[in-house]
Parts: sequence; C-alpha cells; structure tokens
Amino acid sequence: MCQELKRKLTEAFAENINELYLEVNPEKIGEICTYLNTVLGYPLVSMFANDERSLCQQYAVYYVFAEREKGLLLIIKTKLAQEKMVMQSISAKIPAAARYEREIKDLFGLTPVGHPDARRLVLHSNWPAGEFPLRKDYDLQRKLDFAREEIAFQKVTGEGVYEIPVGPVHAGIIEPGHFRFSVAGEPIINLEAQLYFVHKGIEKMCEGESIERCLYVSERISGDETLANSLAYCQAIEKIAKVEIPARAKYIRVIFAELERLTSHLGDLTGICQDVAYGFASFQFNMLRGWAYQLADELCGMRFLRSVNKLGGVRKDFVAGKEVTVLEQLQKIKAELEDTVKIIKSNSMFIDRVENTGILQTDIAAALNAVGPVGRASGVRYDVRKAFPYEAYQLLEFNVPVHNNGDVNCRMNVKIEECFISLELMIKAIATMPNGKVLEPVHSVDPYQFAFGLTESPRGENIHWVMTGENNTIFRYKIRTPSFCNWPTLCHAVKGNIVPDFPLINKSFNLSYAGNDL
Amino acid sequence: MRNIVYIVVQILVIMLVSPLVNGIIRKVKAFSQKRKGAPLLQMYFDLFKLFKKNSVVSDVSSWAFKVTPYIFFSTALAAALLVPVSTIVTPQEIPGDIIMLVSVLALGRFFMMIAALDTASTFGGMGSSREAMISSLIEPSILVSLFTVGLICQSTSMQQMMEAMKGTGIPLFHPVYIMVFLALFTIILAETSRIPVDDPATHLELTMVHEAMLLEYSGRHLALMELGAAIKQLVFITVLVNLIFPHDQLIAITGISAVVLSLFLYLMKVIFISIAIAFAEVFTVKFRFFSIPNLAALSFILSFLGFLQYFVLGGSNV
Repeated sequence: MCQELKRKLTEAFAENINELYLEVNPEKIGEICTYLNTVLGYPLVSMFANDERSLCQQYAVYYVFAEREKGLLLIIKTKLAQEKMVMQSISAKIPAAARYEREIKDLFGLTPVGHPDARRLVLHSNWPAGEFPLRKDYDLQRKLDFAREEIAFQKVTGEGVYEIPVGPVHAGIIEPGHFRFSVAGEPIINLEAQLYFVHKGIEKMCEGESIERCLYVSERISGDETLANSLAYCQAIEKIAKVEIPARAKYIRVIFAELERLTSHLGDLTGICQDVAYGFASFQFNMLRGWAYQLADELCGMRFLRSVNKLGGVRKDFVAGKEVTVLEQLQKIKAELEDTVKIIKSNSMFIDRVENTGILQTDIAAALNAVGPVGRASGVRYDVRKAFPYEAYQLLEFNVPVHNNGDVNCRMNVKIEECFISLELMIKAIATMPNGKVLEPVHSVDPYQFAFGLTESPRGENIHWVMTGENNTIFRYKIRTPSFCNWPTLCHAVKGNIVPDFPLINKSFNLSYAGNDL
Repeated sequence: MRNIVYIVVQILVIMLVSPLVNGIIRKVKAFSQKRKGAPLLQMYFDLFKLFKKNSVVSDVSSWAFKVTPYIFFSTALAAALLVPVSTIVTPQEIPGDIIMLVSVLALGRFFMMIAALDTASTFGGMGSSREAMISSLIEPSILVSLFTVGLICQSTSMQQMMEAMKGTGIPLFHPVYIMVFLALFTIILAETSRIPVDDPATHLELTMVHEAMLLEYSGRHLALMELGAAIKQLVFITVLVNLIFPHDQLIAITGISAVVLSLFLYLMKVIFISIAIAFAEVFTVKFRFFSIPNLAALSFILSFLGFLQYFVLGGSNV
C-alpha cells in the first residue's frame, strides 16, 4: 500500500502537477494517514466530507495533506456507505484532524469512531439532534425545534479554581465568541473558546448557485480577507475551466493581495499597542492603516477590495495611469512605518510586555498546523506564496520572515517585517508589470470537476475546494480559512499566562470569527 | 464663621476643579496622538448628563451595592476636607490628620470592592481582587512618605504640615523632598488608576482594575462614583502640590484678593501636575499585572530613603 503511494508520489513530482487524488478503502484510512503525517511528515491541511449520493450512492471524505517543499497537495479520498454513517477517526494520531472530524459529524452526521472529544463543534446545543444541514436532502425552508441542552465545557476542579465566562458579546466592536477561562487567581489553567455564533451556512448557501454569484459570496466570507478569499475561489474555478489569466491581471492581483495584507497587519499592530495602553504607537499605526485604506479606495473605489477579482482576471485595469501616485503613497507609508517601528522597538517597557507573553511552542504549532504569521512566529517556515506560488509571486523576489520564540513579540515582528515586504512587493510589481488585457472571461465549466484554490491571506494559508455541478453551478464549496487552524493554537498559547494578558495575546493572533464560523 | 468659609471654599474648589484634571490629562494625551480630543470640559457634561438619569440596579444585588456610591462619594469629600487647598483659608482646627486621610479613603475603597463583589458579575470580582492587591501595596508608601514630611514639620496635621513647608524655601532643592515627591507622584499614578498600573481608557474588561468595579453602575450612581474618583485624584494632587510646591508665602497682600490669588496659584499648580501625569501616561505602557509590586516597591523605597535622609541630613532650612 505505502509502496504504491510512494510510486505515485514520485510520478506526481516528475509530472509537476500540484493536486494528486488517491482513493483509499475506508479501513485503510487510519494507516495511510498516519504514514503520510508521521513518516513522510506531511501536515493535514484540510479535511471535508461531500454528499455524493447523487453521483455514486455514497458519502466521500477527503483528507488533504500538503507536501510543502515541492508544492503538492495529496488528497486521500475515501467513500463511506450511507447505511453505516461511520468513519474511522484519525484524531488520536493526527491532532489537527480533531476539529475537522467534529465539523463533519455535526454537518453530515458521519460519526468518527474513536474520536477523543465527541462534543459538538459547529452546531450549538440548541440545535436539535438528527439534523445534518450539509446533506443534499436537507430542507432549508423547514423551521427547526429549539433544543435546550447545556453546553458541556471542560471542567477544571481543585482548590481555588474558578471559571470566568467572557462573551459572546464583548465590550469592543468585535465579533461574537464565548471564552471560558479556568483560572487559579490570575494564571489561566485552561481556556475553551465556544465559537460558531456567526455560523451562516455559507457552504450550504453556495450549493446550486451559479459560479458568478458564488464569487460575491466568497468576497463576504470574512470582511478583512475579501481579496484572499475571492482569489482562492477564482483560482479554483479558473483551474477547473482551464483558463490561464492574463499576465497583467496576475500582477494586479498581487498588488491588491499585498495591500490587503498591509492593512490587516497594520490593524493588528494598532491592536497590540492599544492593548498595552501605548496610545502614541497605536494611533500611529492606525493612521498608517488609514493611509493604506485610502490608497485602496483610490485604486478600486472600495476600501475592502470587493469586486476587484473576476473569474478569469480582474474587473478593470485598476492600476493603469495611477502608478506614480501609488508609488508616492507607498513610499510615504514606508517612511512613516520605519520611524514608528524604530520608536516602539526602543521602548523597553513595551518590549517587556510583549516578550515571552503567550508562547506557542513549535511542536504544538506544527501538530495543530498553525499557519500564517502565527506559525512563522513559532518557527514553522511556511508561506503559501513560496510553497504553492500563485499569480505573479514566482516572478517577484521576497523573503519569508521566521521567528522562533512563538511569543507576542515574535508575532509582532513577523507582522512588522511582512508589512515592509508587502510594500516592497507592491513597488516591485508596479515597476515590472507587463501591459496587456486584464481579463480572460470564464464562460462555462464542466460539471462535477473539482480543484483547489490556495492563497496566503493576511492570516495565513487559505484553502478553498470547489466542485462544480451542472449548468455552471456549484455542487460543493469547502472553505478552510486560516482562522480555523489557528483558533486551537490560541487556546494553547494562553495557558500559564495571566488573565489581563489574554487580550494582548488574542490581538497578536487576530483570528477571524466569521472566517471560522462560516 | 471661619470653619464655614473653609468648608464652602474647600468643597467648591475641589468639586469644581476635579473633573478639569481629567479633561487636561485627556487633552494632552489626545495631542500626543495627533488628535484634537474631547473638549476640556467633557467630564462636566458627562456628569451633568449622568446625574439626570436613573440608575439601573441589578435585582440580585443587596443594599451594599446601593449605598456604596454615597459612601464612596462622601468619603472622598471627607478626605477633601482634610487637605486645605490654600493655607490662607483655614479653619480653627481640622479634626483629622494624614492617618485619618488614608483611613477615610480606605473606607470608601472597601465599600467599592464590596459593591463590585455584590453583583457577582464576572469582572467585578476580578477588579476587587486586583484593587485589593494594589492598594495594600501602595498604602505603606503613602504613610511613610507623608510621615517623613510629618517628622520634619513636627505634626501629622495636613494644615500644619503645609504651614511648616512654607518656610523651607524651595523644597525640591533638598534630597529628602525629591524622594518624597517621586514617591508621591508614583502613588498618584497607582491610586488614581493611571497608565502604568491601569488604563482608564480601555474597553477590555479582562485587563481592567478600577473600571471593572464600576461596570455595573449606571446613571446617578455612576456619576457619584466617577466624581468621587476624580475628587480622590485631586486630593492626592493637592497633597503633593501644597507640600512640595508651597505657594502662599509668595503672597504679600491680605484680604479677599489674597484668597483669590492663592486659589489661582493653586489651580496653576494642579494644571502643571495634571500635564506631568499626562506625560507619564504617554511615555509609559501598562505594566504586566505582576510587575505592579515592583512599582509599589520603588515608591516605598523612595519614600523610605527620604525618611532615612531626614535623620542624616535633617529636613528644614535647606
């Protein structure tokens, strides 16, 4: 079995394809996944089920492993009989699988046998038992009963141990999420996050919709990752349609993707400074973020970059004629950012606050597949732009900053360095972009084809899987945003820290609730 | 008659000036952030608005929650009566000294902590326990620094200490007073929930100390708590400015105009210290919660050094 797998892998490397699908007998799944994860060291980057009863009378489960050196996605597909509705759990061996399996159990009713934590994840305790919304025969119009069950949180007992419930509604203008701290005095023993308060059923909503409409949905998955999400969606559809987008469009997409990263990181830096009451630096970063938003507004008329992407390219040549002003703005942001960074790094009181706060160990980061700046701050050297180069990233030179301590300081430094890299990338892209058209329209796609779209959103690796249906519609759209991977790592990073440091640690992760809850 | 004039002047000045201190601090901080900031008188508007509103009281709370705003406000006012704003307007005798001052403020704080626990909300208890820790660390250094001045002036009565300080020339030229000044300044930052210890502008409940205890209050009750805290802040500033920067010896005239001039000078000193506090807030960040003992220890060491120096160098007549 494993020999055959190795042979197929070598073939794939030789042919230079980046998606390899293998179908495996459900009994073998534990063995083969453990082999891939522990022996070959491929992390599990996504896992999802698909109701394929209309195609083959069975449910399919896809396990996605990534070979990050050569840029290959290895997808293990297994078919499960609809009479049994069980699957073998791999969470005991591969911790990153735990949340995916719980998600599949909630939405499809496929029970992972041998899962260490069988509680619900996506659906809250008020959702009635036996209703599985992602099955194709689920009726969206039907009103459900209101189940009244208690939410089961992990209990920590002992002398002086008590629980602090925080949320779901918070004091700031942020998204909803409930945090249950178990603390002994100030130090945190355990943190559990109850999310999915903004579960909107995006994946279900997209099924049966046209591929054009779903582009608008993908732009609205998470407000500040508009471009990264729509880009991943466009990539998947373009791959299915076998459309090669024009070179100029590739550069324009890079410029907007980096602009989005810049605004997002500047926002995080604002938050980190604000949480330690460093008003000057906080407002400084906020001002820079405002400048970056203004630049986005000037370019495409929308600060959050909606309606920039179109299937097969970008909607318009947004950059043409504005090169000089854009370069001026970028230089202005860069100069001010350099000054501000110099000031905050020479403030020893500030550095004392962020150093050694909220350490995420490298082994935990790797085991739970921490992605993006969070992973890179904990020594996981991985950036989608390098491992799976898309658009024009292959043609542009840039570094991937990696720090090893895993604390707030490292996450902050990764973000600061990435701000400068984003600025450089935008300047380079404007200087080297070719002329030409910006759109190669996608008219139609074949039914029941599937492909991945991978982007590095400001928060990290963003994986979308699209399967088309008949008449240019979507059959299944699986979105896995970086926040889904990073939420469990936050809960590990806060352990042993004190309660007043939690907001700071949380800000340094800056996870999206909407992107996780879908 | 003298007593009545003293009480009226004291209460009017302290109550009217105390919200201004917050306004000045916020304005200076806003300027450091390239903002215009709220108007200087914003806190007066806020208090005026809050006093017109009814309070919402949780139905699971007890009497402690309802009496606390009144107790906290009256203890702050009582403390204000122990610290003359001007040595020209003084009563025949103030029936209380610095020990009384510290205890009266502690009484108010005790009730505030009880009230925060009373509603059994998530954040009130955290605020109370943090406040208890900070205040128990800071109180020793308040007493030691004030005792040092008291030793020099041969009295623990604030009025007599201020009188005696008028004859010391410029106190800040003397090492003892430098130590006492630095200790008192640190105490003000800690006691009035300023930045290295607490962040008065934060919205993050998990990091709050003072604000966490006020979360359940609304309307009139909140106004009393806010005004009480502002008065307490001004009382500490008054102790600092009138001991370390005495001004009444400069006034050569007598009568009503002397009183006005004295109050004017007092106001200038308060504004100066408010700006200094704002600068301290701008240049520091919030400490890690468990680093606050270091700050308290620093303040205590400074006041204790001042205390020892008195025996080595002597205090008066620099």
